[in-house]
Amino acid sequence: MPTIEVNYEDLQMLVGEHVPLDVLQDEGIMYAKGEVDEIEGEVLKLDMKDTNRPDHWSVEGVARELQGRYGHKKGVPTYDVKPSGLVVKVDRKLKCIRPYTVCAVVKNINISHEVLSQMIQLQEKVSMTFGRNRKEVAIGVYDLHKIKGPIEFTSVKPGGIRFVPLEFEKPMTPAEILKKHPKGLEHGHLLSGLKEYPIFIDSSGEVLSLPPIINSNHTGKVSYSTKDVFIECSGFDMKFLLPALNTIVAALADRGGEIRSVRVEYHDKVRHTPDMSPKKSSISVDYVNKVSGLKLSRGKICELLEEARYDAKPKGKSIGLLYPAYRQDIMHPRDVVEDIIISYGYNRIKPVAPKLHTIGSETEIEKFSSSVAEVMAGLGFQETLSYILTNKASLFGKMNLPEGDVAEIENIVSSNWSVFRNWLIPSNLEFLSKNKHREYPQQIFEVGDVVILEQKKETKTSDGRRMSASVCGLNIGYEYMASMLDALFSAFGMEYELVAAKHPTFIPGRAAEIRFSGKPVGIIGEIHPAVLNRWEIENPVVSFEIDLRRIMV
Amino acid sequence: MAMSEVRKKTPDFSIALSWAKKHGWVAIDKGKLVVVKKPGKIDERDALKGVESGQAVGDKVLRILLGRNLVFKEREDSRKKAMKFIGKEVTTLSPELIKTGMWKKVKLKPYNVGARGEKKYPGKRQPYNRFLMQVREKLVQLGFAEMSGPIIETEFWNFDALFQAQNHPSRDWTQTYTLKKPRTGSLPPKNVVEKVKAAHENGGRTGSTGWGYKWDPAKAAQLMPRAHGTACSARQLSKGVNVPGKYFAIKRCFRPDVIDATHGVEFNQCEGIIIDESMTFDKMLGMLKLFATELAGAEDVRFYPDYYPFTEPSVQLSAKHPELGWIEFAGAGIFRPEMTEPLGVKQPVLAWGLGIDRLAMCKLGISDIRHLFSQDIDWLRRQKVTV
Repeated sequence: MPTIEVNYEDLQMLVGEHVPLDVLQDEGIMYAKGEVDEIEGEVLKLDMKDTNRPDHWSVEGVARELQGRYGHKKGVPTYDVKPSGLVVKVDRKLKCIRPYTVCAVVKNINISHEVLSQMIQLQEKVSMTFGRNRKEVAIGVYDLHKIKGPIEFTSVKPGGIRFVPLEFEKPMTPAEILKKHPKGLEHGHLLSGLKEYPIFIDSSGEVLSLPPIINSNHTGKVSYSTKDVFIECSGFDMKFLLPALNTIVAALADRGGEIRSVRVEYHDKVRHTPDMSPKKSSISVDYVNKVSGLKLSRGKICELLEEARYDAKPKGKSIGLLYPAYRQDIMHPRDVVEDIIISYGYNRIKPVAPKLHTIGSETEIEKFSSSVAEVMAGLGFQETLSYILTNKASLFGKMNLPEGDVAEIENIVSSNWSVFRNWLIPSNLEFLSKNKHREYPQQIFEVGDVVILEQKKETKTSDGRRMSASVCGLNIGYEYMASMLDALFSAFGMEYELVAAKHPTFIPGRAAEIRFSGKPVGIIGEIHPAVLNRWEIENPVVSFEIDLRRIMV
Repeated sequence: MAMSEVRKKTPDFSIALSWAKKHGWVAIDKGKLVVVKKPGKIDERDALKGVESGQAVGDKVLRILLGRNLVFKEREDSRKKAMKFIGKEVTTLSPELIKTGMWKKVKLKPYNVGARGEKKYPGKRQPYNRFLMQVREKLVQLGFAEMSGPIIETEFWNFDALFQAQNHPSRDWTQTYTLKKPRTGSLPPKNVVEKVKAAHENGGRTGSTGWGYKWDPAKAAQLMPRAHGTACSARQLSKGVNVPGKYFAIKRCFRPDVIDATHGVEFNQCEGIIIDESMTFDKMLGMLKLFATELAGAEDVRFYPDYYPFTEPSVQLSAKHPELGWIEFAGAGIFRPEMTEPLGVKQPVLAWGLGIDRLAMCKLGISDIRHLFSQDIDWLRRQKVTV
């Protein structure tokens, strides 16, 4: 969800009408699926929610939506495109490197501070969020007058050419840029493993850019004196490239720029870009009302669509549609319905509480867990809650156990939370270790999930629901916890057995396996002083842990 | 000796005779009483002597003596004990005073009843868990049945079945955890996989264009910790649902957020689905409004357009809480046909998720999300029991 900054005056100028700030906040910005996050003087910070609507990520795009409601422009925005005469030749060598580019020229733009900052912001947000952090879409904008056509999109060896990258002074090879330039360090991984790197060069041998890393400082710098620009988007898939280019071109055209197409020559075909002609679709009136629950007439739907910047023409029980070339998010008629409802206004719809007769229920394990917790609380234990994520030291080393197998996270945020716990007593001990200076005795329990590796399962794991209880304090020992355990089982009218067990976490001779119907279901014991030392717990602890699914009847 | 003679000489003859016979000391032969053997040690006699002289007597024999009315329990001692207090001020209301009625003749000392008792901590549910339990109860009352699903999921159920494109930014590794061990799980039956694949690639039979890329089953089989509760909804839809049907889940979810006052290591999501042919967007809004008033005590609600990869139209609800003002409370929408059709569901499915952690924070009066999992026993002991 990108956040963008727009200037309020600039926005109103583009809309062509005064839109009071409170109206914009409460209603207007919703038409662009946005929310005003912060206001700093004239600058509005907007959260733009739809990751599939890059056309909303600049003031020009937001203004386009508002024009349909507050201004005088409705229906599909039209953009006139004339040929520029510029040619870009794409080398077939790029097939496995970065195979495609789409290009455009925009002339006669009056580049003010707002125009420039919005252009940079849009370029950044589109390549970042929509372009998957430049992987799918890398965008370059250049001063047209510093370029001599035709342009070649080809590839070079990492050390095969030198140019001055943006904001640098000395010429560098692509390999050096990847090692030294901040953008090279940030995006260099996108070129890793390649023997040659993609490059745009003009006919005089001047480098335009090394996509998707950096532009040249000479051609790839747009300033207030720039009038005409050349724009290229490069990547792997036209589904990403075309809408990205159209979005940027539309924004510049809304600033008064004139769009000129570029002839892009592949070895096997020629493509003229951009193509700003609207796309066609249709929708049935019944479907709109079936999804929305509203009773909208065909005429009303057409009106709402025109406000949402569609062209809408009634055709029997359906409506013929034209929508802008920069929109690639319309995959299903459902997407059009949402635009109609947004246009209608979510808050104008009367909410109707659905009346469906269904019977509610909880899962058996949740019901049983609640009952167990109730008994434990009745026995005077405080319930605790902790994270399922933990670390190997807590599960094994600190518990006097050899390291075992557990489910492990790859991209950890912190080594403290790197694996899924496979038993619960460590969570009790961690809690007690954090409460050394609190009043004793401390009686705690937790009902929680653990993750057990299990090859046969669909997810190679199974979740276990466990309950563990611990008491920490002087003069409270094994017998006390054994009677608590007895009370718990008795409360459910269940028989159990305790069988002496050897377990390194507990003091030898003071641990027992808990058996239910002859099967092991848990363990009880007094924690070994070596374990207490590792947790820095200074009072004796007796704990038990039970697998609740195994005793649930 | 003749029986008649013995009867004359012996007090309580019939009792004595039956005891003597029982112990085998005497026998009756043709009207005469014959001594068979002389009695040795007689426990009862010794015990009686013991009682007389104030010595301790075994329980068993004492019971026999009591049963034969040879001894009786005397109240004299307690009376004596109680007598000592007559006219005096006493602290302890003793059993003796109560039994003998002597309490009428003593003055029971008044206590400093204003003094607080010694600090005790009751066994309590963890406050956040208690809150979740209340939400669960409420949802059951509203007719929702609970769903389940595993903590470790395949990307298939977490993403693919939800029509989230494999190269979509929301699947970026910075947004979700990936697993080092175990790495891959197995995919559901082929017919389900094929339909999901088609929806992604070209829309299949869903009426959609699809995302237009080559869907990779290997990516879908990768394992990950559940990133949202919607994975449970996808499984439920595929497993089969009642129509009309209402389902919910409150599940622990995992995302690699940097931990701060609003992002914990783990969080809970509360979500649900409503399936019926009659479900429309205005009913979605009605359901959300009901949740806001029932669960958050909202005075007013506002709806905002929103975006989720698996719902269209999508909506966010803000609720006006009586004390806290406007809070983002719920996100919802109608599941995309590209999601429901491949899972075999023909009816519209309303899907909703509640900002349960934020609501819990409001209810428990805490400002740092990490406190939901507080590791401080004093804080837990101090926490009020919410009703």
